[in-house]
Amino acid sequence: MIDLAVGAELEAELEGVRRLGREFLRPLGIEADRNAAPVPPDHPFFAMAWRMGLGQPLGVDERARAGPRISARRGVVLAEEMSYWDRGMSVAMPGLGLGGPPLIGMGTAEQKERFLAPFRDRERPHWAAFAMTEPGAGSDVAAIETTAVRDGDAWVLRGAKTFISNAMRADWIVVWATVDRSAGRAGHRAFIVERGTPGLEDMRYEHKMGLIAYESSSFTLRDCRVPAANLLGGERHYAERAGFKGAMRSFNATRPAIAAMAIGIARSAYDAARDFTHAHHVLDRPTPRAQRVREKLARMARKLEVGRLLCWRAAYLADVEQPNEVEASMAKAFAATSAQEATGLAVDILGDTGVTAHGYVEKLYRDVKAMDIVEGTGQIQRLVIARRLVGLPNA
Amino acid sequence: MSFTLALSDEERLVQETARRFAEERLLPRVRAHEQARGVAPELVREFAALGLAGAEAGAFVRALVLEELAAVDPGAAVALDGAGPAGAVLGRAAEGAGFRAVVVDDVEEHFRFRDGALDGDHPWVPADRIDAAVVLQGDRGWIVRAGWQLTAVKPCGLEAAGASRFVLVGAPIASRVEDPRLRAHLRTWVAALLVGAARGAHRYAMRYAMERTAFGRPIAHHQALAFLIADLAIAVDVARLAVWRAAAALDRGEPAEWEAASALVEAAEQALFVGPNAVQILGGHGFMKDHPVEKWMRDIRTLAGLAGGRDAAEFTTAALAPEHEAGLR
Repeated sequence: MIDLAVGAELEAELEGVRRLGREFLRPLGIEADRNAAPVPPDHPFFAMAWRMGLGQPLGVDERARAGPRISARRGVVLAEEMSYWDRGMSVAMPGLGLGGPPLIGMGTAEQKERFLAPFRDRERPHWAAFAMTEPGAGSDVAAIETTAVRDGDAWVLRGAKTFISNAMRADWIVVWATVDRSAGRAGHRAFIVERGTPGLEDMRYEHKMGLIAYESSSFTLRDCRVPAANLLGGERHYAERAGFKGAMRSFNATRPAIAAMAIGIARSAYDAARDFTHAHHVLDRPTPRAQRVREKLARMARKLEVGRLLCWRAAYLADVEQPNEVEASMAKAFAATSAQEATGLAVDILGDTGVTAHGYVEKLYRDVKAMDIVEGTGQIQRLVIARRLVGLPNA
Repeated sequence: MSFTLALSDEERLVQETARRFAEERLLPRVRAHEQARGVAPELVREFAALGLAGAEAGAFVRALVLEELAAVDPGAAVALDGAGPAGAVLGRAAEGAGFRAVVVDDVEEHFRFRDGALDGDHPWVPADRIDAAVVLQGDRGWIVRAGWQLTAVKPCGLEAAGASRFVLVGAPIASRVEDPRLRAHLRTWVAALLVGAARGAHRYAMRYAMERTAFGRPIAHHQALAFLIADLAIAVDVARLAVWRAAAALDRGEPAEWEAASALVEAAEQALFVGPNAVQILGGHGFMKDHPVEKWMRDIRTLAGLAGGRDAAEFTTAALAPEHEAGLR
């Protein structure tokens, strides 16, 4: 029979996240939201977390370790809990972030050694970043226009990347470019672009509606010369024409986790709304509103719990090495929309308090919208599902 | 215990056996059973002999079986699992082939208990003939084994199960329901049937959409329908996971009040989304009785009225929600 318990070994880790969340993630996320500015990289919290080894829920050692994968379910469980406290802060945490999977999955042994090295520094926090999205290419990943041209022992990158998490503070960024725009995905190459590389220019913050705690940046690659040794995986990797698959693999691994983050935000809204009803005695008198509030609370809890089951199923399939493409997309499509609804219901429950900036739940309502956009919009998830179920042709 | 979503070999075998029975034996006679308001007696015996849904089967295995049967014929599923969720409180007698029982959740409190007997009137139960009945009312529950009047009514769906107005006039109480979890069993049972019905409707409409062409391509390849089909697939899977969670909680001996009520609310909401949309995908053909989607749509609407209706389950979740903990455990 199925068993849906979190389990003792994860419970201990969860308790650590809860302490971290209560003391730091939630207050810092709210503070960043009020300041309308990301938590700066030199904030003492990051250094403290890094020294405690807490900075990387999916850390270097875990990712680099060979052997049986047990990490997908751990990933979704911890992602939910981190986002319960503050999703913006969970992305702001130092570590490899989305840069990890392509480096670990595609990188040569030499590249892994070289680019993981800074992350073994336990004194000072480090970040990596992943840059695919461009001003003119979001969901349509194959349409990226950043070009890579070989010139001697280097590659020259030209183009622009946008909405890149932690790019400004990253030691290096995995930048995707095309060597042949007519070849679509087959023309894609991934490069490690290190901070300070000449031509990595115009680095600037984007101003977001929510998730203020982490920085999203845009930048320009102006004749940016990257050493040939920084071509991720080396020439041979692309001779096997796996360029696009590499990117898609890193997306696919994270979809259940993004879905779990949506669930975490929804749960945060649920708890906030529930606590509000108790603190303000909303349910103590038999007003018509009291029953509406109970029904809304019930719907929020129900949807977030069944959404969690979809996340766990997708992660479970990954862990037992079964295809999870459809299930991962289902989890993300469902969780993101359900969580958006839940945060909206929480605003209803708080009434006029709900729409004021210090009501907390309106922050969650703004924060959670991104979960239906990043790592494949809800529409892209439905395309993925439909391709598999009914053979919907590409484009 | 540790986390898993895998079915055991035994569970898989039961599921496979139920699926084969449904597809090979029930499928050819779906409309015949609907017409006859009952399942052919030889199939009732055949199903009972498979031993898939005995009282000892457990809620989880039962949910697997019900989904498979309902994916072909929800009405036949109700008839074949004759004792249904009452099996656990009715004992041995309920296990014979052809035994039928109904559970009425008397949400509106139409029944009166007086001097060891029960009086009352319920507009619809999914049976034309029964051997026992259970009436739940709040925290109380009574079992009656005689003293009812069943008057045939025409139901919206689930014809193969039968359909009658259920009247008790001084029906002697055979015993009281001692299991406080019967309502949770009942709700999980209905929810499992809804999952099966929704799956059947979705699967049929999806296959149709891949064959039917309009504007030069399969209608499934028009994005409006492709996305709808994806959403229907999500709906079925969400409902199933909710049912599995409730059934597993019941089998672990937990009260499962929240899990079962939310499984029924979720399954009803999702199935009621799937049913009419499956008809929609077939367009005019969907409205005709030549295809089974109209039947699933009616069956789903009818199923969602069982167990006191989805409102009763939603009321339970609403009552529990202010104290409910949704955290990771």
